[in-house]
Amino acid sequence: MVTDTTSDDPVFEVGEFYQLITAHLEASFGRRRPHWVRGEIAKVYEKGHVYVDLVDAGSASSDTKRPVLNAHCWATPWAPLKRRLASEGVTLSAGMVVSFYGYVDVYAPQAKIGFSIVDIDVQGLLGDVARRRQELIERLRSEGLLERNKGTVLGPVPLRVGLVASQGTEGYQDFTGQLLNSPFSFDIVLVKTLVQGDAAPPQIVSAIKTLDKHGVDVICVVRGGGSKGDLACFDDERVARAIATSSTPVFTGIGHTGDESVADLVAHTRSITPTKLGEEIVAIVSSWYQGNVRTPSAHLLEVTADVLDEASEYLSERRRTMIFAVRDRLRAEERHLVSTRERLVIQGRHLIVSATQMLASSRQLLAAYDPKRRLAQGWSIVSDANGDVVTSLGDVVLGDAVRVLVSDGSFTSEVTTIERPPHE
Amino acid sequence: MSNVSDWNEAANELNAIVASFDEGDVSVDDLFSKLERATEIIEALETRLATTRAKVEELTPRIAKVAEGE
Repeated sequence: MVTDTTSDDPVFEVGEFYQLITAHLEASFGRRRPHWVRGEIAKVYEKGHVYVDLVDAGSASSDTKRPVLNAHCWATPWAPLKRRLASEGVTLSAGMVVSFYGYVDVYAPQAKIGFSIVDIDVQGLLGDVARRRQELIERLRSEGLLERNKGTVLGPVPLRVGLVASQGTEGYQDFTGQLLNSPFSFDIVLVKTLVQGDAAPPQIVSAIKTLDKHGVDVICVVRGGGSKGDLACFDDERVARAIATSSTPVFTGIGHTGDESVADLVAHTRSITPTKLGEEIVAIVSSWYQGNVRTPSAHLLEVTADVLDEASEYLSERRRTMIFAVRDRLRAEERHLVSTRERLVIQGRHLIVSATQMLASSRQLLAAYDPKRRLAQGWSIVSDANGDVVTSLGDVVLGDAVRVLVSDGSFTSEVTTIERPPHE
Repeated sequence: MSNVSDWNEAANELNAIVASFDEGDVSVDDLFSKLERATEIIEALETRLATTRAKVEELTPRIAKVAEGE
């Protein structure tokens, strides 16, 4: 269709046209009259003022025709809002679903119909943040990442400590103080990072990866206490994944007032403060030292003393035994000699007694046979010239002189006859 | 001390002498020589024990420092 400017329709200059649009908008919405608009943050950019591209929640970024609201918050209203968000640990970031309270405004120099934010539904946003945090935790859980780092094995003596911290901060001082004031020689490998703000997560991720490759016994992620906002970077998914997938055990000592961070949940071990984390590491080494050095040393001393005492006691006992044994042996020999002697004496006595008895009986026998008794009874003893007793006729011949002994003397006789019994 | 080498060996010899006394195996003729040998072993072992004890005393504070120190 072709028309010309000669018709009744007015012709506007560009500025006028924008004024008209603004007037119409203000007529519809009211001048600077705020409305609530809810959407998902597609993009956020802050430089004094903050600029946010808001889209319908759940809409696909591939959809080139999805409506986008260019919202902005000027520095003046933004400053208190930012503080409030920070105190709750919230930083506006892509993916968040948020309700902005603001009014439509037209910015002719850039041909933009925008939205000027005057307030944010912080409670709603917190709910969304909590929901997203919970979703993140569930996602990590379903991927097995909550337990992954807990499955890594901590060496018995974690003296090589990788440290992810901001040097010079209170958290850093608290943690390193525990290690350096302990009796052990810790080797601390520090990778400095920011520990708050949007720039912190990539640095923390990079630090964890660097230390994991470096080969330390444990990686400690340390951050002193702060507001929820200060600690928000430890709820970051990238940080959580870096911790979970580290092949080195990761210990956290983050804050002392905030809730448990997602980093704490995926870590191998969490302590509630950097100081506690330092104590924990020292306690692990100390426990090893106690079990493997101190207790064995004490035991060694005891055993050594026991061995020496035992040897000493053994020698004393052997010495005593030897003395007694020799004495006993000598006594036994003495006793043997004494008893032999006694036996000999007793046997000698017996011999004498029996000999005496024998003599007595012999004496009696002899008395019985005493020839004097026979002579007195009328018997006589005849002996020849040689004094030999004549017991047979053969001992004499006729004419021999023989001596005849009788009880009270003797006389000489001559053999005048020899008579033999007739039967011979 | 002559002929006293290894502690266990010496202790075994000493034990054997004591056992022979206990069992009454020692003749009076052997008694003195066995007693003399036993005395020799005991004295040698005591000397060795005293030397060892002195060395241990030297090391004890060093180990104690580890065992009790912080």
